[in-house]
Amino acid sequence: MLRSYLKLAWRVLWRRRFFTAISLFGISLTLVVLMVATALLDHTFAPMAPEVRQARTLVIFNATMTGPRSTWRDGAGFQLVDRYARNLANVERVAMISFPEDVFSYPGSTRVQSSLRRADAEYWRILDFDFLEGGPFADQDVRNGSRVAVINAATRDRFFGGAAAVGRWIDADGLRFRVVGVTANVSASRPVSTGDIFVPYTTAKTDAYKTRLLGSFMGILLGRSPADLPGIKAEFASRVAAAPMPDKDYEHLYAAAETYFESVAADTFGQRNDDTTRAERLWIAIVGAALLFLLLPTVNLVNLNVSRIMERASEIGVRKAFGASTGTLVTQFMVENVMLTLLGGVIGFVLSAVVLKAITAAELIEHARLAINARVFLYGLGLSLVFGLLSGVYPAWRMARLNPVAALKGVGR
Amino acid sequence: MIRHLLRLVWNRRRANALIALELLLSFLVLAAVVTMAVYLLDNYRQPLGFVYEDVWSVRIAMNVIDAPGGEVLPENAPARRAVRLNTLARLVRDMPDVLSVSLVNDAPYSRSSWGSSVAVGGRAYDFSANRASDDFDETMRLTVTRGRWFDASDDGAAWEPVVLNERLATEIFGGQDPVGRTIQPDPPKIGDRRQQPTMRVVGVIRDFRKDGEFSPAASWMFYRSTVGSTTTAPAIGPGVPRYLVVRARPGTAAAFEASLVERLNSNAPDMSFQARPLILARATMLRGDLPILAAYALVAAFLLAMVVLGLTGVLWLNVTQRTREIGLRRAKGATIPDIRHQVLGEVLLLATVAVAAGIVIVAQFPLLDLVATISPGVYATGLLISVACIYFLSIACAWVPSRLATSVPPAEALRYE
Repeated sequence: MLRSYLKLAWRVLWRRRFFTAISLFGISLTLVVLMVATALLDHTFAPMAPEVRQARTLVIFNATMTGPRSTWRDGAGFQLVDRYARNLANVERVAMISFPEDVFSYPGSTRVQSSLRRADAEYWRILDFDFLEGGPFADQDVRNGSRVAVINAATRDRFFGGAAAVGRWIDADGLRFRVVGVTANVSASRPVSTGDIFVPYTTAKTDAYKTRLLGSFMGILLGRSPADLPGIKAEFASRVAAAPMPDKDYEHLYAAAETYFESVAADTFGQRNDDTTRAERLWIAIVGAALLFLLLPTVNLVNLNVSRIMERASEIGVRKAFGASTGTLVTQFMVENVMLTLLGGVIGFVLSAVVLKAITAAELIEHARLAINARVFLYGLGLSLVFGLLSGVYPAWRMARLNPVAALKGVGR
Repeated sequence: MIRHLLRLVWNRRRANALIALELLLSFLVLAAVVTMAVYLLDNYRQPLGFVYEDVWSVRIAMNVIDAPGGEVLPENAPARRAVRLNTLARLVRDMPDVLSVSLVNDAPYSRSSWGSSVAVGGRAYDFSANRASDDFDETMRLTVTRGRWFDASDDGAAWEPVVLNERLATEIFGGQDPVGRTIQPDPPKIGDRRQQPTMRVVGVIRDFRKDGEFSPAASWMFYRSTVGSTTTAPAIGPGVPRYLVVRARPGTAAAFEASLVERLNSNAPDMSFQARPLILARATMLRGDLPILAAYALVAAFLLAMVVLGLTGVLWLNVTQRTREIGLRRAKGATIPDIRHQVLGEVLLLATVAVAAGIVIVAQFPLLDLVATISPGVYATGLLISVACIYFLSIACAWVPSRLATSVPPAEALRYE
């Protein structure tokens, strides 16, 4: 049965090539927009090297202090992580890394801008960096405040023209560091693992950071298993809620151990701890935006489909006259339309790959290597189906309701 | 003619409603993108108010402990910090090729901002605030339109001297000359905040569009930073200047920046410095914004191309289905232009319905104050262009089908009747 539908659908699509082309143009470009957006979201939020243990990782990105007159929101401070995130139950490791800051160096007479991050040694154990040469700095380096640095491949190119860098020196932030390791580049859209130069946090010029509850660090917690994460979140939240305030201007401290997606949701919908539905709301917002974008393409395709049905009124009349049920006709039309959108989806995949390649080549996001992976492919397939069903329902309903007598006469009303 | 068209459109109301809906959605997409484009172009045309060429900005991170609860170490006490910043400014001023040096809270193209407001006579004025030293007008080549920039004569004044931009001056003083006038803030509401000091306007600048060419017009108020003002003993009030801005002689080599940073680093090894030529800071800011705008424009262009092709197809099929009706009309004496006008007229009628509904929807945004920063003029221009585009688009879609409608000889068309 399905085979004959598919055959028929193919015939119909081939008969009116001009209109099929118009439909495919709209369908494939619509899906390109959605697939590129999906690939970008996937690239930002999904697990990806070196964040291979993302499923059991939580991050303390930022913190908020509120008082009757003022609200202060900033990154997590060193003290917040050091005092409240250590020794939590079921946490295997705790690492600390500063938010990237721009530093400028002047090797030769050129200027080089890099993003510098200050880390501890645990950081290298939670994240699985791909070392091109050398290795990470050790606990001892952090304890002693050794001026050593791990740099990425792009920084090696900028300073040493791509030649081996381990053992050589770079200037950054007015200090001189010895390179101990070179890692592969990490996309700028990954706040936990991107960076050009990593140095021990103890090489900071003053100890000012040590007293800060709010500051420029993020804390990374590695749980024993993904199932432990809710418990870790709850314990951290209760510790933070009981924390004494350092300043009389402020009454409450809010900070959460969360995924990056949850952190973005908190930035979008408010940062307080007592609201746990934020991540769901961000999902709804993303799906809502996609549906809103689909509105115009859907109406466009519905219009085309309705017109083409009216054109085929006599064919439908004959089928009805010979006893085809409404259900049969609706199924036939839906199969036709889903086939059309899947065909558009295939073209869409090819075009999306081209667009993603162009975005990668233009370095719009530094070091991003965008591509269609299995996850994005599945999302794209789902999107094509949804689009096909959405744009097929109304025309199919109209077709089923055609009066057979009028249809036979060819009067499509 | 119109009544006739109305009846024809009404008779096929279901199919036409879908076409009108498509035109309405296209109008909304167009209105959003065109209004944004008009808004950005309008911003781009306004003067920046400063000259960014040959200027370096140096962000100074003092690495001091000034967090709530953190103790302030003696070497970081406010007075000491002010003296140290003053020393740094003097060191840079002594460099060859340096024309002018000043200190400021938020440098151009720095992305950081400081919003403030003052209540006068029961009315609140919101503005962007900044604090800069005496030479800032020279360093940034600000256009002072009335009065003067801060100078030594402001030392020890009983009021807080301020410089406004023209927009804020007009908001507070209307058409009157603001120079020498006093701004007396209302006493604070209970538990609200501290009483703001009495201010006196010493001058007016044309503008200071810190975030660059595409940023919206804003009201600005400058306070005086005694830190970095050469003639005075510095004292730190609220807000420590965070940026050193340096104007160098035109054509200064890039190596200047390295020696500038070297000089700062060796004098203050505990501080961190981020030096950028403003040309580069500006380019970075544009590189961040433009791809996003380009992506929006590209998606909108694709949506409209899709609509044009789709509508053409729909109208084409409509016309072929109505061959008999058209044949009958021609047999009864309708001329070729008559038929074409009918096809075009129907589409234009639908476009008018769509545009009317669209304007009702779009008009809610300024009424509900959802787009506060867009001026009514820009909004109206954007809408007018969108309306014109929709009509143009409708005619373009109906053009080929209207030719097609008259290409069938009436006798052949009637044969089917």
